[in-house]
Amino acid sequence: MAWPTAALAQDSTRVYRIFWVSTDSQPDPFLAGFREGLRARGYVEGKNVALELHYAPGNPQALREVVSELKRGNIDLAVSSGPATRAMTAVTDVPVLFALSGDPVELDLVKSLGEPGGNFTGSTFLSLELAGKRVELLKEAVPTVRRLAVFSNSLHPGEQSEWRATREAATALGIETVYVPFAGKSELDNGLAAVGDARADALLVFPDVLTLVHRAKIADFAIAHRLPSMFGWSEYCDAGGLLSYGANQRATYFWLATYADRILRGEKPANLPVFQPTKFELVVNLRTAERLGIDLDKSSVLFRANRVIE
Amino acid sequence: MTRPRRSLFMKYFVTLFVAVVTPLMLGSATEAWFAFRDNRFDLNELLQVEARSAADRIQAFTDGIRDQLGWVVQFPWTQGEDDRRRIDGLRLLQQVPAIVSLSMVDPTGTERVFVSRVSMNRTGRGGDMSADPAVVGARANRVWYGPVHYQRDSEPYMRIAVAGNRAAAGVVVADINLKLIWDIIAAIKIGDTGHALVVDDSGRLIAHPDISLVLRSGAGAGEFDRLKSVVSAANGSAVTTTGEDGKPVVAVSVRAPNVGWTVIAQQPVLEAFESIRAALWRSLVLIVIGIVFALVLAYWRACRLWGPIRQLEDGVERIGMGQLDHRITIKSHDELEQLAIRFNQMAEELAASQHKSERINRLKQFLAPQVAELVEHSDQRLLDAQRREVVAIFGDLRGFTAFTARAEPDAILAVLRQYYEAIGAVTARHEATLIRFAGDGVMVLVNAPVACENPAHRGVRLAIDMQAAVQSLTGAWNARGCAIGFGVGIAMGPATVGTLGWHERLDYTAIGNVVNLASRLCDLADDAQILVDPVVTGHVKDSVALASIGEQAIKGYDRALEVFAVGCMYAPIRHFDYRFQTAHVQPAGAKFDRIAPEPSLTDAD
Repeated sequence: MAWPTAALAQDSTRVYRIFWVSTDSQPDPFLAGFREGLRARGYVEGKNVALELHYAPGNPQALREVVSELKRGNIDLAVSSGPATRAMTAVTDVPVLFALSGDPVELDLVKSLGEPGGNFTGSTFLSLELAGKRVELLKEAVPTVRRLAVFSNSLHPGEQSEWRATREAATALGIETVYVPFAGKSELDNGLAAVGDARADALLVFPDVLTLVHRAKIADFAIAHRLPSMFGWSEYCDAGGLLSYGANQRATYFWLATYADRILRGEKPANLPVFQPTKFELVVNLRTAERLGIDLDKSSVLFRANRVIE
Repeated sequence: MTRPRRSLFMKYFVTLFVAVVTPLMLGSATEAWFAFRDNRFDLNELLQVEARSAADRIQAFTDGIRDQLGWVVQFPWTQGEDDRRRIDGLRLLQQVPAIVSLSMVDPTGTERVFVSRVSMNRTGRGGDMSADPAVVGARANRVWYGPVHYQRDSEPYMRIAVAGNRAAAGVVVADINLKLIWDIIAAIKIGDTGHALVVDDSGRLIAHPDISLVLRSGAGAGEFDRLKSVVSAANGSAVTTTGEDGKPVVAVSVRAPNVGWTVIAQQPVLEAFESIRAALWRSLVLIVIGIVFALVLAYWRACRLWGPIRQLEDGVERIGMGQLDHRITIKSHDELEQLAIRFNQMAEELAASQHKSERINRLKQFLAPQVAELVEHSDQRLLDAQRREVVAIFGDLRGFTAFTARAEPDAILAVLRQYYEAIGAVTARHEATLIRFAGDGVMVLVNAPVACENPAHRGVRLAIDMQAAVQSLTGAWNARGCAIGFGVGIAMGPATVGTLGWHERLDYTAIGNVVNLASRLCDLADDAQILVDPVVTGHVKDSVALASIGEQAIKGYDRALEVFAVGCMYAPIRHFDYRFQTAHVQPAGAKFDRIAPEPSLTDAD
């Protein structure tokens, strides 16, 4: 990072109030990443920063109250994770940091990535672009894939776009897709059961807090059903997923904490460009490959992998 | 007297002060100037080294990409090797993190392989890229560096194209994410807050330690363009200008030649000249200490000089006012102390001199001036009491009492004044001692206090002159209707002489029979008569014609003494109309109304 921790210059008596707004549910790995980032910037919760958590799992409408509270209260910064950002568009006088999979310009949160121009800025994961790349990599690792089950939390905003991009890529690669949506945590198990019934020979799971939280269950399910699996983040692979390709989550939330620091120091979100990840990690879990009986030696994914779990 | 406006104290003080402060200031200023020059030079060097290092690393970054790209255009294109080429491309992506995507173009200019980190890969015959400037440029120069472009108006990208040795090897075009230069630029720290940045020819920011400035889609490009042109104009030497954050910076630029970018190394002026400021502060503190020291020193020195001078001045003033006992105490162990000693000596001598002159003045009351001088300059003991042979002369006006009864006081005083003047003049001429005037009487001593040769003779001549002088006056007085005459008595003998009185009023006088005798003789003498005792007569009888007037009974003497009268007389008779005429010596005892004969003295000398 370019700003050394030691250079912290906050008013020591001031306790900054930060709203953490999410449509997901706890435990929240993103919150953990953000907190870690704050700590690295020298913030200590309870001493000079107070995180106020607002969760409305799967129900962005429920966040309206939070928004009105935001408008009333003396809040220094709001951080919205994922889909909750949409509910925040009504906020105009409090800086809002977001972490989005989609395009913030399309969502009308910022004027441009370079110059957000308003009270919103943050990070975008480019999930949409990577959707096709994941299908391609899965095909590369397991060239025999013909029918791909796409497992998606339908409550995740932008999920439809991602699904479309995935379907197009799969079609281009000659792969048949089976779309298996589930609506929130309650439907997760049912969704998995549906995947089991889909007669697919591979599984693609959209990155999402819910699937991230239940990554072990999903990975185990995939292994149990002998499905080569493709995920968005490396955490899934650590839990037993076969492949993952995407930006490093921790790095992104770490970066978000840096922006939070700069905004608390008085910089305007309007001048802080939306950050896009530069490095995409390809992680391969060779143990899972072995259990699935997949020989990756001939594939290009092994030498392309940033990390191989053996 | 007005005191001069600029005192010696101020002059001395200012001179000393300036003498100490001027070299100090000059020294400090010179030191500061040299420190500034050296610091400026060092800063220039440092910034140049950093800028060059950054430029070299950027060059290494692009050269590394170029060299890596060279690998995939080593072999000529053959049929059916697209997949192998694709693997080459993927491996290249693996090798060079900055490459986001690669297009491999065959000799005909057709894209055959496209691999990307984000987008879907493509193999097989693709679009025609023969007119793409990257392909054209690479074919012409083997290597082509494209302009910087900003993807989605935010992230800086650049295309690099490399052609093989032979046209058959085709061209590879890579899209480079320049955000990765950030690692290079962010690693450059100049001092604590100095940094390096990279701008392209149009002045757009390519790399900056604060990456958000780069991603800001060219906002503030004008500011960076200005910075670039200002710093580039300095041609490699450090220039002070305003940085991108509006604060003054010292900056140096170096060009990264292959890509045509400008690397600027800059350091805030505040930090860059920190050591100079520290040096200046040191100098300033030294100067202040020096000034205080100089003030104290100059003040002390000036006081040491000025104090004694004031003392001397004061001393002179007091001496001038007559305080001759004033003494100056200066213990400076230098010329001033010497001066004070001399001054004290001078005051002492002045006092002695004044004392002496007072004494002389006093002596002049009863001594002829020349005798007074003689007395003063000879032995001081002359005035001491002693017994010696003296000639006492008494004179007295006749008919004065009657005159005072009739005359106006003014006339009396005028007569006395003329009388005293005449007596004084005669006494002075004969260097005798005028003891006192008492009304119309006068007492004169000869041979005391100053001894003289033949005092008797001198006394007689004095008496004759005295008589002549007074008689010349009485003529005028008698003409105004006053009957005043003058008689003189002379006696010689031992008497006790000396000063008598108290310190404010000292008189020189003689005590003894001779004085009484002279007084009695004076009383006996008629107008124009000079009566002489036998002792004087014994001394002068050979040279002065004396006539005995017979033995006279003198008060205080057991037996009568033979008294002589000087034979040469004036005859100032008021009752008769007479003139001075030459007369022969009358016998002693000639009466008052007789015609005074012309003196016929035979001078002893």
